[in-house]
Amino acid sequence: MKALRWGLIKQQMLVTLRVRALHVLSLGLFVIQPAVFTAVGMLLSHAAGNAMPDLVYTVIGGGIMGLWSGLVFSSTYDITGDRYYGTLELIVGSPTSLTTIEAIRTLINVLTGLFSLGLAFVAALAIFGYSLQGVNFWGAGISLLLLLFSMWCIGVFLANFLAWSRLSGSFVDFLEMPIAFLCGFMYPIRVLPGWLQTLSGVIPIRWALQAMNESLLGNRDLPFLLTHWAMAVGISLVFLAITGWLQARVHDSIRLSGELSSI
Amino acid sequence: MHPVAIEARSLNKTFITKTGLWKTRTRSTLAVEDISLTIERGELFGLLGPNGAGKTTTVKMLTTLLLPTHGTARILGLDVVQQTAQVRKHIGFAFSGSRGFYNRITATQNLNYFAQLYALDSAITRQRVPQLLELVGLGTRGDDKVETYSSGMVQRLHLARALLHDPEVLFLDEPTVGIDPVGSRELRQTIKNLSSLGKTILLTTHYMAEAEELCHRIAIINKGRIVALDSPEALKRHISGDSVIEACIQPGQVQGILDLLRVLDGRTLVEVKNITEPETVSIRTPEPARVLELLSPYLNPQYIQGLEVRNQTLEDVYVTIIKAGGQ
Amino acid sequence: MIKYLLQSLRLYLYQAWLSYHGRYSITSPFGYISSKLGFPFFLMLFFIFMGKFVGYTNPLYIVIGNVLLIPAAGSMSGVTNAIGDERSWGTLSYVLGSPAPRLPIFMGRSLFYILDGFVTAVLGFAIAAGIFHLDMATINFGMLLLCIFLLAITSSGLGFLFGSISLISRDGWIILNTFLSALYILVGVNFPVGSLPSALQTIAFGLPLTRGIMAARLVLAGAGWNAIRPLLAGEVLVGAIYILVGYLCFRLIEKRSLTSGTLDAI
Repeated sequence: MKALRWGLIKQQMLVTLRVRALHVLSLGLFVIQPAVFTAVGMLLSHAAGNAMPDLVYTVIGGGIMGLWSGLVFSSTYDITGDRYYGTLELIVGSPTSLTTIEAIRTLINVLTGLFSLGLAFVAALAIFGYSLQGVNFWGAGISLLLLLFSMWCIGVFLANFLAWSRLSGSFVDFLEMPIAFLCGFMYPIRVLPGWLQTLSGVIPIRWALQAMNESLLGNRDLPFLLTHWAMAVGISLVFLAITGWLQARVHDSIRLSGELSSI
Repeated sequence: MHPVAIEARSLNKTFITKTGLWKTRTRSTLAVEDISLTIERGELFGLLGPNGAGKTTTVKMLTTLLLPTHGTARILGLDVVQQTAQVRKHIGFAFSGSRGFYNRITATQNLNYFAQLYALDSAITRQRVPQLLELVGLGTRGDDKVETYSSGMVQRLHLARALLHDPEVLFLDEPTVGIDPVGSRELRQTIKNLSSLGKTILLTTHYMAEAEELCHRIAIINKGRIVALDSPEALKRHISGDSVIEACIQPGQVQGILDLLRVLDGRTLVEVKNITEPETVSIRTPEPARVLELLSPYLNPQYIQGLEVRNQTLEDVYVTIIKAGGQ
Repeated sequence: MIKYLLQSLRLYLYQAWLSYHGRYSITSPFGYISSKLGFPFFLMLFFIFMGKFVGYTNPLYIVIGNVLLIPAAGSMSGVTNAIGDERSWGTLSYVLGSPAPRLPIFMGRSLFYILDGFVTAVLGFAIAAGIFHLDMATINFGMLLLCIFLLAITSSGLGFLFGSISLISRDGWIILNTFLSALYILVGVNFPVGSLPSALQTIAFGLPLTRGIMAARLVLAGAGWNAIRPLLAGEVLVGAIYILVGYLCFRLIEKRSLTSGTLDAI
């Protein structure tokens, strides 16, 4: 952990902020796209004849979409950007490992995505009259932290994969929607067919998110929450372990293929 | 202290590329073949060769960015494949080209970031970044975004970045490409100063004058192999003590002059350079007096407009070696 | 004259191929299918389950709408990115600096994206028919293909409009992506345009795609040529207007960027 020096984290934050986050792109990514998803959810609900949409899944769920798309997109953009700028090679050639850099960047990306979630939450409260009455605050809070942690783990995993080759970018794009749909970002897991529910169990985000949504809906069932939290942490750690194991191989393979500097 | 700065033993690099949509064909390209070198500490070593000869691939293997297919390389006694992290602390590298920085932020911000990648103390960073910008002649432009830089400025910024952590061994890949004559003279002086501070420098270039001016020793590399390796003086002696006579000849008179020179034996090589108007004939000969005697009746503007006799430069040696197919 | 036309045609086809090939040097069939169908397919599943959760009983409506949007999205982003890429590769000034006629250069960028979108949509329908038991027995295939093809062409007009934006700003594709996502609300992909608030309905009918998608839905429901003719005519008209506006924008911005020097800024 001595690799995670504060000076490095600070510099990386400054660079990310200046190069990417303070960019018109962020508006689309963290505000407009989630709003579109929310709008589709509300209009579908309206077309189905409901008087009121489900605020937790439709409005706050839009924020989860923003958080997730932001993470996937930023990770892809970071690494393809580095390839494009020619800085990937310079980062790999420095004594700081690429995984350390990716870990820090993913953390920044997850925290940036919180903006989207926060905005959705405020919109639910201020515009749509979402009531906090009955909400299990401690459950939602712990679940949110674990949600961010599992997103970070998956983000680091994907980023490592992205460094591997130019083409993996399209593969990661390919993963964005399947994970959103498997984890039930804007609807409860129970609407999925049984086998898809089982399949979604391998993604830690799903467990943390389910715990958070249930807490927001007032669930105080401690065993339920504890199992979900444990699953989220456990599977996240498995992903971290796989990342560690892959790291050395990915690192060698990019140095064999010369994919570092190609655009 | 390890006495040898850079040591390569039989380095080989083969790139495998796949093409085709349905039927993938695999093509392998041999970029570097059996390169061995030993560079002493404090040496300024030049790697010369035409485009695509394998210079950059060699440098990338030595800087841990590419894994060799076969062979080993050590920097200060550290293996580039096994001891990657330690090697990286001791080396600095700068590649040519306008890429390599975040364009949307300033030069100083870029350097601050890279300083952190090399775990530089922030007090040292604050002190060193302006010094380095000054050193490469960008002292007043540090707060400008890199996207406003000319290609020559980016090139100099590369050198500043490579020097951030005060590395013992420096790899400079075509450092003066795209820099104007005044700027590249300054840069050469900077490189000389760095060398006099005791840094080991491996420089690749295809500017012969630059290599001749700077390098203690030179390896000429062609089609992935080292075809000559020695000091610039020794390389020049390599092709005997020939002189070079270059004559500017009126168009239309070239054939006559060539016929005239036919009486000379095989030790004299005559070459017409079809790039200038009037045309230039280059004559490499061990007997310059004889050639001048043959040409002297024609030394008037109707035939020969100008004549230059000089010793061989490294460029002549280089051209001879590369044209001979690297034998 | 004939020589000029032939040269334009050659330029058009060559430009089309170059533009497409330069962007998609995809090396495997898996890469092609996943990049073309993966995202829209899972997005569609996402919408279907959103619908299922709120009690929206007609998943086939969502399936058809999303498949119909594939060629449109493909040709729009294809054309925009083709121009944006050239900008970042630094080839744009060579193209615009050449004396070649503008129209074939401009249109050439869209041909393969239109064909590509068409093929993907047909593939999408085949997959959807298999998974969601779309009943294809009673429908007129010729008319369905016509609708899909028309959608791919008319949407390329939007592509040119956004492509022109890429000429002034390196962030043109971001604007495009945002706009693309708005199409999921506006043009009747997931729910009928009629269920939108009236202001949005007005916007929807001012866009290409809306009428074309309605027509394709009618064809799938077994309607005949007379029922879809007015819709198709409207679609052609709106599409043509967008292509024309896109072309004029391209010319205008080309002229402007020559004076402002923003052509190759990346």
